[in-house]
Amino acid sequence: MFMYKGMIVLSIFVPTIAGIGVFGLKSMEKAAIRNVVVTIVLVLNGCFSILMLNAPFDACILFYLTKEIPALFQVDRLSKLFGAITAALWICCGIFSFEYTKHEIDRRRYYGYLLITLGMVNGVCFAGNLPTLYMTFEMMSVVSTPLVLHSLEEDAVKAGMKYLFYSIGGASLALFGIVYLSTVVTSNQFMAGGTLDMAAVGGHTNLFLAMIFLCILGFGVKAGMFPFHGWLPTAHPVAPAPASALLSGVIAKAGVIAIMRVIFYTTGAEIIRGTWVQMTWIILAVISIFMGSMQAYREPLFKKRLAYSTVSQISYILVGLAVLNQAGFLGALLHTVFHAVIKGTSFLCAGAIMYKTNIVRVDGLNGIGKKMPVIMWSFIFSSLAIIGIPPTSGFVSKWFLAEGALASDLSFWSGFIPIILLVSALLTAGYMLPIIIHAFFPGPDYDYKGSTSLETSGLLVVPILVLGITTVVLGMFPGPLIRFISEIGQLVQ
Amino acid sequence: MHSLNWLLIIIFLPLVGGLVLSVLRFKRRLYREVFVEGVVIATSILTYVLLYRPPLGSLVLLQITDTIQFALKMDGLARVFAGLIAGLWPFATLFAFQYMTHEGKENTFFVFYTMTFGVTLGVACSANAFTLYLFYELLTLVTLPLVMHAMDAASIKAGMTYIKYSIGGAAFGFVALVFLLPNGGNEFIYGGSLPFKTLGVSKDMMLLAYIFAFFGFGVKAAVFPFQGWLPKASVAPTPVTALLHAVAVVKSGVFAVMRITYYCFGAEYLRGTWAQSVVMIAALVTILFGSIQGVREQHIKRRLAYSTISNLSYILFGVTLMTPAGLLGGILHMVFHGVIKITLFFCAGAIMFQTHKEYVSEITGFGKKMPLVFGIFTIASLSIMGVPPFNGFVSKWYLATAAMKIGTPLALIGILFLLISGLLAAIYLFNIIMPAFFPIGGFDNEGLKKVHDPNWYMLVPLLVFTIAMIGFGIKSGPLVEFVEKIVNGVI
Repeated sequence: MFMYKGMIVLSIFVPTIAGIGVFGLKSMEKAAIRNVVVTIVLVLNGCFSILMLNAPFDACILFYLTKEIPALFQVDRLSKLFGAITAALWICCGIFSFEYTKHEIDRRRYYGYLLITLGMVNGVCFAGNLPTLYMTFEMMSVVSTPLVLHSLEEDAVKAGMKYLFYSIGGASLALFGIVYLSTVVTSNQFMAGGTLDMAAVGGHTNLFLAMIFLCILGFGVKAGMFPFHGWLPTAHPVAPAPASALLSGVIAKAGVIAIMRVIFYTTGAEIIRGTWVQMTWIILAVISIFMGSMQAYREPLFKKRLAYSTVSQISYILVGLAVLNQAGFLGALLHTVFHAVIKGTSFLCAGAIMYKTNIVRVDGLNGIGKKMPVIMWSFIFSSLAIIGIPPTSGFVSKWFLAEGALASDLSFWSGFIPIILLVSALLTAGYMLPIIIHAFFPGPDYDYKGSTSLETSGLLVVPILVLGITTVVLGMFPGPLIRFISEIGQLVQ
Repeated sequence: MHSLNWLLIIIFLPLVGGLVLSVLRFKRRLYREVFVEGVVIATSILTYVLLYRPPLGSLVLLQITDTIQFALKMDGLARVFAGLIAGLWPFATLFAFQYMTHEGKENTFFVFYTMTFGVTLGVACSANAFTLYLFYELLTLVTLPLVMHAMDAASIKAGMTYIKYSIGGAAFGFVALVFLLPNGGNEFIYGGSLPFKTLGVSKDMMLLAYIFAFFGFGVKAAVFPFQGWLPKASVAPTPVTALLHAVAVVKSGVFAVMRITYYCFGAEYLRGTWAQSVVMIAALVTILFGSIQGVREQHIKRRLAYSTISNLSYILFGVTLMTPAGLLGGILHMVFHGVIKITLFFCAGAIMFQTHKEYVSEITGFGKKMPLVFGIFTIASLSIMGVPPFNGFVSKWYLATAAMKIGTPLALIGILFLLISGLLAAIYLFNIIMPAFFPIGGFDNEGLKKVHDPNWYMLVPLLVFTIAMIGFGIKSGPLVEFVEKIVNGVI
């Protein structure tokens, strides 16, 4: 039993302390030593999450936040899932960074904050009650800001501050709800299905619902939900590409995980079924889906297009959760995993292209497929996945999302949501396919003879390839993942 | 159990020590430092002995009439406040030794700095409203020379503003005393010493007297609309702003309001009345006003002063909830905010001492060369924003849950204001921290040559306070239990 408690603690503190060590130790100035240490930490973290996949439910108290409320950390199925995504993506992006950051200033600071952020994300992952979740969530936001503003250029710093204040603002909103919920729960611990004490709520249903809504809204800021999505398209273009990949793939998902912890592990899903909270949540998510795709379609900057795409895709996840049924839940969590892999691939591709060619606009990508074939093929897979074309992973998750929407007894919405999903898929095709087409079929003006391969570094190519292949493999063999997630779904509803 | 007379010692030792210092002329700075620090540490040790073995009953110093007397006692609330003051003073004095080497007239400074210690302990140990009033006025007098220390135009103006506000507040407070004393509300008894049926005076009249008391004593607590003196007083040397205007003077203000509310009038008497609404609204307005002004202010110390204004009203908000849980949150925030704010001001002071930079825009990139100072500033900022695992979260949590339990619209607005204020604090503090660590365009290594972390005189206090912030953040249980006993009337 101690082993798993220890691993929870280690997965939070090892990266954090290693990150601080990167700042403090003189030997970390040398890139070679530093890269080795970073790799060891990331791989170690990966081992922890693999080992923990077998863990029985376990919890540990580190200290006390107030007299009664412990800083509680626990490993349950949801934390295993999120922890695994985090570990996998961090390894890929970390290795990618070794080559990518050669053009960046102060690489030591980058790796320091990269590791500390991993520690804090693990903290969010294993948080066992709402106050602990709040703590790790805020810390995660604070320590990930330096990654966004890393280049210290004016846009980057401004984007970083925007990210920071949006995040803190969102968490403050959620805190209001958390304070309230702490007065109406039977236990200061997340339990599948919720720990609500309806008697304590008394007759104040409206207050109760409003507080839950504040939690959804507040944590939704991190998940890029309308109307608080503004930080995403500002932050992604200026952050280093691997940082953007982690931001979209993992950190934004922390918002989703937090909402899940509130709805499925604290209040219980039934309590908001049919209420204005559920309706408003669905409406905001649907608006985000549509608006994100529209904005992506119109956006000329490559990374900003991917950022708007993230806004849209994460709201797919939110819709899947909001319909409050098994199929939607399954689709949502599948998409959490798949989108992390997909978006990771996309951003790393964008990063590799930028690194080699300094191209940032979509219309500059003509013929890039000739120069960087392996990378662009991975990009093809991820694009097909994000549109939702079989046999890629995205198809599977969107299938279940649509099924969930149709199965929900929400009259208008059960028909409307699938329509929006379809429209969004068309828009997604509209903003992803042209990139691929121009990349591989650049047209008559292109200098075919002069193009040479730009894919020199394995450190850039291998992570992208791994992620790209994973996208397809998960799509063809989704069985184990579906089973795992269904188990979670059974427990919480 | 120690004799009540020790209460006299802890108050008069610093007073006498300060007076002695005004006569003695030390040949070397070091001798003065040893003398002053010696007096302060002795007083603090004695105070802590009294905290742990409190004498029972009260010590009557002077009997004025058969119902009115100057008296001292050490009940639970006194122990908490005295503990805060005595805990911080030795470290603040150490910081001040270093800081004042650049300011001059150190002897005069430390005369009044040390005397203030004694007077503040007098405020803490006052056994009734009359005695409190005396020490309260003495506090104004003994801190005035400290505000005006630099004796330049700005300082003198600040001192005049300070005196005007304080005397104005004293007048209001006096009016309240006029109503309290004859009606038996003088003694500090938890739950209120005022009998419910006051002779010849209607309840509304007494409530009006409470309003006068709240705003009168609340001047020192910088409650709107009487907060104007505090930002102006930032011209004082940083040890003054930090210890006095973030801890001793302003916390005496909230302490006095707590005494008047819970120990004279009584929460039961005031709960649900129009007076409660008035004072709670004043606190709420101040919370928001202070934070908004903090965002707009570009001078670092004045920005922190506005933050203090806002946070003092967190305490007053807890107090005006008129419940034990509210008072619990208020007392906790009184202690925790004191530690946090003194840390923030001392960091600003360390920066100013080294570099003479006072404005937010002037300190870009300093974080690279002063990592300790800015690192500690960051921890204190996170704490004041209410982020766990630091102490500021604990007090804010108890304040929010106390308000949540009451659930009235005003209380809920209070929680909302607390959260908005936390977000604004994030904005005005991270706008200091981020440019220091992440300057736009990179670091100007030439310009940063002279910037470095301060020496141990300043670092040791900062480190001690940081340990306190983290320590209370992760283990607040014992203190919370102690304060629970206070608010349940046990001690």
